Amino acid sequence: MATREELSEFLAGVERRAFKQAVFAVRDESHALDIVQDAMMKIAENYGDRPAAELPLLFTRILQNTIHDFFRRSKVRSTWVTLFSSLTSADDPDADPLETLEASSDTRTESTETSYQREQVVAIIEEEVARLPARQREAFLLRYWEDLDTAETAAAMGCSEGSVKTHCSRATHALAKALRERGVTL
Amino acid sequence: MNNQDEFAIRLRQALNDGAERLDYRTVLRLEQARSAALARQRRTGPATVRLPALQLAPAGASPMGEGRSGWGWLRGAGLVAPLLALAVGFVAISQWQEQLEIERLAALDFAVLLDDGPLEAYADRGFGVLLQAERRSDR
Repeated sequence: MATREELSEFLAGVERRAFKQAVFAVRDESHALDIVQDAMMKIAENYGDRPAAELPLLFTRILQNTIHDFFRRSKVRSTWVTLFSSLTSADDPDADPLETLEASSDTRTESTETSYQREQVVAIIEEEVARLPARQREAFLLRYWEDLDTAETAAAMGCSEGSVKTHCSRATHALAKALRERGVTL
Repeated sequence: MNNQDEFAIRLRQALNDGAERLDYRTVLRLEQARSAALARQRRTGPATVRLPALQLAPAGASPMGEGRSGWGWLRGAGLVAPLLALAVGFVAISQWQEQLEIERLAALDFAVLLDDGPLEAYADRGFGVLLQAERRSDR
C-alpha cells in the first residue's frame, strides 16, 4: 500500500507534466489546474491504498479520463448555451487559444540570451504539441513524455497498439514538419 | 533507436524544460491541490484497536503498543500488583480471624477442664469472653 509520503512524492513528480498535458488539451490554465486537482483527488480517494508501483499508470488513466470528462461537460454546456442564450457573443476571431500560455511565458525574465532563446523554442514546441489532433497528442505525450510502452499507452487510451503506433508516428512527423517550418532545430 | 524515437526524446527534454518553468502561482496551486488530495487519501490498512485501560491485553500483545519498546510489562505489572495486594490482604485477615477463633475455643476448653462453672455457661459466647478477660486481669 502506498504510504502518504509515497503518494505525495509521486504526485509531486507528475503534477507539472500533468498540468502541461491538461493545458495542451483544454488550452486554459485555470481549467487545467482544476483537471489536475480532480485527478489528484480521485487517485487519492479511490486508489490511495494501492501499491506505489501502480500509481503512474492509474494516474495517467485518471488524468486522461478527467480531460475527456471536461470536454463532455463543455460540449453539453455549450449546447445549452447555444440553445437558450442569445446574450453570449460569438467567439472573438482574434482570440488566440494559446494566449494564456504565451502570456505566462512572456512574464518570465531570463538573464541570458541563451536561456531566452531556449524559452522561445520551448514555447514554440508547446504550441505545436497543443495544435496536434487530440488523439495524436495524447498518444505522443503518453508514449514519449510519460514514457509508457505501447501496450500501456493503448490501455490508457482504450485503443489498439497499432493505433498507438500510428498516432505516434503521425504526431512525430507533424511536429518535425511544423518545427522545421518555424525554423526550430533540435 | 530510430529517428522517430531520437526526435521524440529531444522533444521530451524541451517539454520537461517547459514544465519546470511554471510560474509560481501555478506551482502553488498544484501544491495546494496535492495537499488537499493527500488529506483525502484512502486508507484500508489494519485499524488501530484501543483497548480499555483495565482490559488485559492478549498474550504477547500490549494495549498501547509498548510491547516493542520493552516497557509494556510495566503497565501490566501496574494492573496486576493492586489485585495481588488485595488477595494477600484477604488471606492475612482470614488467617488472623481463624487464629482468634482457635484461641477463643482453646480458652473455653481450658475452663471446661478446670470445671469452674456450669456447663451451659460454657456454651455462651459472652461467657467465653468473660473468661478471657478475667485471665488477662489475673496476669
